[in-house]
This record gives sequence, structure tokens and C-alpha cells, in this order.
Amino acid sequence: MNIENTQSQMRKGVLEFCILSIIKRGEAYPSDIIEEMKKANLQILEGTLYPLLTRLKNADFLTYRWVESTGGPPRKYFSLTDKGAEFYKELEATWQEMANAVQLITQNGYQVAELTTTNSQ
Amino acid sequence: MKKVININFQGRVIPIEESAYEILQNYTDSLRRYFAREEGRDEIINDIENRIAELFTEDLKKSQAGCVTEADVAKVINNMGRPEEFDGEGVGAETGISGTAATSSSYTTQDEPRGSLFRNENDKVLGGVCSGLAHYLKMDPTIVRVLFALVTLGGFGSGIPLYIILWIVLPAKGMQSNMRKRLYRNPDSKVIGGVAGGIAAYFNIAVWIPRVIFAIPLIAGVIGSLFQNIWFFGHGSFPDVVFSGFGGTLAFIYIVLWIVIPEAKTASEKLEMRGEKVDLESIKNSVQEELQGLKGRAEKFGAEFGEKAKEWGKDVSDLGKEAGDRSRAFSAEIAPAANRAGNGLGHAIGVLFKVFFLFIAGIIVFALFVAFTAVIFSGFGLGMYDLKNFFLTGFWQNFLAFNTIFLLFGVPIIAAIVWIIRRMTGSRSNSSYLGWVFGSLWTIGIISATFLAAMVTREFKRVESVQEDVAITNPVNGRLHVDVMPAEGKFYNLSWFDDVSDDIPFMISAEEDSLLMNTVKVKIDKSDDSNFHAYIVKFARASNPVNAEAYAEKVEFPISQKDSTLFLSSGFAITKDTKFRNQQVLVVVEVPVGKQINLDNRINDFDWFTVSTNKRNRNRGMRIDWEDEWDRGYGYKTDIWYTMTPSGLEKTDKRSDNWNTDENDSNGNEDGYRYKKERKLNVDSMNIKMDGDMKINGKDTTINIKLNTTQENRFKGKKESDEEVVVSLGKGRRGHTISVLDLMMIGR
Repeated sequence: MNIENTQSQMRKGVLEFCILSIIKRGEAYPSDIIEEMKKANLQILEGTLYPLLTRLKNADFLTYRWVESTGGPPRKYFSLTDKGAEFYKELEATWQEMANAVQLITQNGYQVAELTTTNSQ
Repeated sequence: MKKVININFQGRVIPIEESAYEILQNYTDSLRRYFAREEGRDEIINDIENRIAELFTEDLKKSQAGCVTEADVAKVINNMGRPEEFDGEGVGAETGISGTAATSSSYTTQDEPRGSLFRNENDKVLGGVCSGLAHYLKMDPTIVRVLFALVTLGGFGSGIPLYIILWIVLPAKGMQSNMRKRLYRNPDSKVIGGVAGGIAAYFNIAVWIPRVIFAIPLIAGVIGSLFQNIWFFGHGSFPDVVFSGFGGTLAFIYIVLWIVIPEAKTASEKLEMRGEKVDLESIKNSVQEELQGLKGRAEKFGAEFGEKAKEWGKDVSDLGKEAGDRSRAFSAEIAPAANRAGNGLGHAIGVLFKVFFLFIAGIIVFALFVAFTAVIFSGFGLGMYDLKNFFLTGFWQNFLAFNTIFLLFGVPIIAAIVWIIRRMTGSRSNSSYLGWVFGSLWTIGIISATFLAAMVTREFKRVESVQEDVAITNPVNGRLHVDVMPAEGKFYNLSWFDDVSDDIPFMISAEEDSLLMNTVKVKIDKSDDSNFHAYIVKFARASNPVNAEAYAEKVEFPISQKDSTLFLSSGFAITKDTKFRNQQVLVVVEVPVGKQINLDNRINDFDWFTVSTNKRNRNRGMRIDWEDEWDRGYGYKTDIWYTMTPSGLEKTDKRSDNWNTDENDSNGNEDGYRYKKERKLNVDSMNIKMDGDMKINGKDTTINIKLNTTQENRFKGKKESDEEVVVSLGKGRRGHTISVLDLMMIGR
């Protein structure tokens, strides 16, 4: 059990949620998504982003359109579909629950523990 | 100085250093392989390439070099991430939405509890049974496979039902191949092809051991055949040296292994060769370590970077290959797994078909292999190979014969063996060129066979004869017994003709340097005077009359007389010099009127056949006519006394038969058999050369030769009187040969 493994496991779960969240705010270009996540200190390789986007798109959560760019190849701009918005909502709810739960356990850990002990008595 | 090339990348023309292009190429290939099992593979690759193109365009704007450099590519690849890093990121294919999670997670499962036996879904040739066994026994799958194959071949196919039962009974499970040790040729320690080096690495023994095993019998063979050459001139030539006995077998095995086993070229293959643990993780680690060090150095020694990057690019490509192999194997696995779930019946049929096909193919190949080795290593030495010396003349015919046997028959067998061993060891080197090599060699074999057939056929085109008188004295009581004397020296049936030896007119001498032919006929004629006479007519064929006559001349068929018995030889020997040219011997015994003759039944052992390649025949090419009941054509039976009368041969009456029994053990319960003067002509493939007068049997006989024009080109002759035969030849039909034998048949 090494720390890197655990960390990547933790990151894994939230990646899709974060990506959808960025796209939800408006059309996004993959390298913008990377930039934004980098700023938030969430490292992701572009090589892993593209397959993820493709999978989300194939699941009808995302759609894209081609946008001509100056001096480069045309870019794919991704946006959320209705189905994707639905999916995002569910993920958001789950995340809230999880975040609360984690918050509760990690921050007030000893209170909870105390509670259980008193209950058992 | 770097070479810069322009590439069309995602619809954009990009100038790029050639070395950088190679790195890029390897990288995209590795991506392609990594995403091979991904649903939207092409789209993903396209997106990534698109992004790379974009980054390049930006780089080019800033760049001073005016082209994409290796450093640029390295930077881009670093940004995008390498396939082996994707897994760590957690967005690797197996956690995707597309749901291959179940299978792939079992693929990565490393520590299976040992307890039970499974079929290994991830490393299999047929059904993964051997691989599963290997996993259970903690052995190398290749060894288990070879052992299984040996059991199957040695145990008369007992392995096949066993395999099928295990296939059905054992549950499939995705397991990692427990040992990844593969047989490679070792390029670092090679003398010829590195086979011995690879074997040494595989079995972890010193290199000289397999080398000596391969070399000693070969050397011994060469020395042995050198000695042999001194004693038997022309016996041991190149193929004899290489393909003789044990050493030959090993040389053969070496060549097969050389072809079959891939060379360990990359670092990972060399690791595999020695059986060190090679997986994605360890290679990734080693590459990353190398990269880390590289980065540090690159900062310090900017100039050095180029060179190093080249090495590093190589490593990337190795890594890509490894990853590719993995994912290819995996995707190959996925397909049948999906099929199985979806279509159990279809799969069952497919499996049955596969088993059936491999079973049949295996049997055929095994049979061919056995036959081929038998012919090459044993039969060849004694049968075919020696026998060929009696048929073939000159370098070209021998050369073509060797080509024919080795290429036409040998190549498909070697190809089949190569295929089977490849399947067995699971080597996947990309060598479509092998198919081409085998194909063209085989074509050469076919061409050789055609030429050989044409050349040999030519050798039987013309027939010529030579007559030789035999001096005999009249037997005291006027009765001549004709017997056969056993041949001098020992002659044996040819081993490869065992089953049909009775019908084969060849016997081979103990020294294997001559063949005993028994294509002999005996004919009884009426003598012109009151004396017994005898003569023989020897026939032979060749491509031209001069040679044919020379071959006929060389036939030696001694006849001796002892008192009233005439001893014929049991056959005549042909040697490697005299060659087989369908030599035939006709023995004519002339009996004066009133005298008696008796043929011993040993004469029935003689045989007679005619090889004809007369081009004027409708059916061109080689034709062999066997005349089984030749004796009937002459109207006598053996072991019966006949008396010559003015009208021909007549059976001596019963009283004289009885009177004869004391000196002759023959018996006579036959009903009277009369020699018929008029016989149906049975003349095939006649050659007519004579036009005009011809002398036969010391008499002037007018012969008017005619070749009739019926389909069979049958030859028609008419006997006018005892002395005259009229045979006519059609207009413009000159230059044909009419053999003495045929004239005699007509003249009868």
C-alpha cells in the first residue's frame, strides 16, 4: 500500500466530476480544462483527458463543436448536454454527501467516536 | 547536423527533425496500442494528435530552429503523458464508463491463490490449458506446451482427448503468465545464428554446452563422410554430409530453430530471454529512472541532449512495443470472451472446428515430418538417394533432383514445423517475409521438378538394340534344358519397395553400387540348320541412338552351357555408370527341327516392361508398359518339354514327358498346349528407322515398312511367307527405328 496509489485512487473519483463542472460553466477547450485544473492544483495529463472526454461524449453527456482557430488546427469545444446536466446533478449530490461525510468524520472525528461510546454505554 | 523533414500531421505541414519524428511516431504508435481496446480509439488518437499539432504550431512560432526538435517532442510527450502513466492517473481504460472493468481487473490481478487449476485466458495457444497448468505448477508455459506436445505425439494422440477434457472441465480465468521467459536467439553470443546462445540463456547453462551438442556430431559427420568418400567414390556429396544421421538431424533442428526463434533485439526481449521479470511496471520504472537522470544531465549538458534523446527515444519505442504486445494479447482475449458470452453455441462450434482443424493439421504435419525425416535421413541414404545415381546423369540432373526433393517436399514441411513451433512458443515476430521465402523456394522446387521430368523423359526417347551371339554346342541327346543361374554376389530387394518387391524388377547389390535388372525375355525359334543356336538382343534407351546403343552395349548378360543345360543369368547388373535406361534382354534360342527344349520355371522370375516417351504418341511424357504375361506371347509354358516341328513348337507327348521325368523334375498335368504360329501383334510405341532391305537372323528379308495412322500409332506388318515380312511405312515417314524385337514379333 503506497501513498501514491491511494492518492491517485482518491483523485480518480473526482476527476469526471471536476471536468463536468468546468464544462458546465460554458463551452470549454480541453487545454483550457487542463489549465483550470492545474490552477486548482489538480494535476491531470492531457493524454488521460482526451479519452475521458471521448467516453463522456459517447455516453451522451457531452457534445462538441468545431471552432476554427488562428494558426492552429480547428479545436473541439465541449459543452454539456441535458443528459449530462442531469448526470452532473447526481454527481454533485453524491459529492455533497461525500464531502459532508468526510468532513464530519475527519474534522469531528473524536466527537463522533465519543458519541458512539456514550451510546454503547 | 540534423536532417529535417516535412510531415503532414493532422492536415498541417510541419517541419520536424527526422529523429524527433521517429520519437513522435513511436509515441503515437504506443498510444494507438494502448487505446486499442477503447471504443472511441480513433477519435481519442485524433484528438491527441490534433492537440500535438497545435502545440507544434505554437512551438514553431517561437522556435529559432524553424522546425520541431527532439526537445519539443519530448516536452509535448511529457505534457500529454505516456501510456504507462495513464494507469496511475486513474483514468486508464479500465476505469472508464465503457465497462471493461471486470475483465481487465482480473487481468491485472497478480497474486492468485495457488490452490486450484484454471485455464489461463491471458496466455494461450488453444484453450489456455497448458498455460493454466504451468501457472499451477509454477513452470514455464512453453515447457509445459512442449511436454504436452511430446506426450501427444509419442502417446499416439492421447494428449488430444486429455486436452479437450481439460478444456471443457477447467474454468477459464485471466491470469498473468507466471513466467515470461521466452526462447530467443542471442545476438550477443552467436557463432552462426545465436541459437545455442539463446538456448543457453533459456536453460541458464554455459553457452558452450549447447554449442558442443550442435557441433560435435556435425564435425564427426563431416570427418566420417570424408573417410567414406575415399572408399566409395561419389557416394558422399554435400547433402550426405549435412543430412546424415544424428549430426544431420541436429543441423536440421538448428536451421529450423534459427528460422523459428526471433532474435532478442530490444532490452526487454533480452530480459525475457534470461527470464528476468519483465512487466510494464519494471520497464516503466527503469525508463523513468533513466529519464530522471537524463533530465538532470540535459540541463547541464544541453549539447549532449540530442544524443541521449536518441537513446531515450529507442527506449520509448521498446516500451511501446511491450505495451503493444500486452494490449494486443489482451484485445485478442477480449474478443472471444465477448463472443462466448454472447453466443455460446457459436463459440462451441468454433472451438470444435478449431480443434478439428488443428488435429488434422497436426496429424498431416506429423506424418509429413516423419516421412520426410525418414526419407532424408535413412531412406535417402539407402533407397532414393542412391537409386538416383542409376537414373540421373550430369550435374544439372542431380542438382535439379536435389532441388526437387528438398524444395518441393522439404520446404512445405519445414514451413509447417515453423508454424507449429511458432504457435507453441507464442512468438509473434512480424516476419511476413518468411512466407515469401518459403513460397519462392517452393516455386523453385516446382520448376526444378518440371525441368527434371523433361530431362529424364528425354533420356528415354530413343531405343536401340545390339545383338550378340552366344556359342553353344548341341546337347548330346538332342534335348536342351534352359535354366537360370543365381546372380553372383548378393542382391536385395530395395527397402522402400518392401511391399511390392515381387513386382519390382530391381534388386540392389550389397554394396549398393549396382542394381540387378531382370527385364529378360526368352524366345524359342526354329533353327535353319540342324544345330542349336542362341543369341541375345540387348535393348536400351537414351536421348539419341548413339547413346542408346552405347547403353545397350554395356549390358552384360552371360549365358553358359553345361552339358545339356543352358544357364541364363538371373538378371543383368546396371551400375551408376551404365545407368538405368530401360535395358532389356531378349534371349533367342533356336531349336532345330526334331529336337526338344524345356524351360525351367525359374524363367518365370524374369520380368519385362517398357518405358516409352515417344513424342509421336498422343499422350506425351513417360509411359511405362508392363507386360505381365510375357511368356504367353511366345506360346510356351515352363517345365514342359517341347519338340520343334517344321510348323513350329509342339508339346512333346505324354510318353516322352514321362520318359523325361528322370532328368527333369517337371511334371505334366497340362492339357496340350500348342504353339500358335499366328499371333496377335502386340507392339507398342514402335520406332521405325529402316527403310528398305534389312537383314534378320542371317537371312535376307524384304521389309516394306508401313506405319499406320490409327490413334495408337499401332504398327502393322504382314507375314508373306516364313522368310518375308511386309511392313509398310506411310509417305514421308522416314527416319523411324524398328527394333529387332518388333520385327521378330512380326516375322513370326
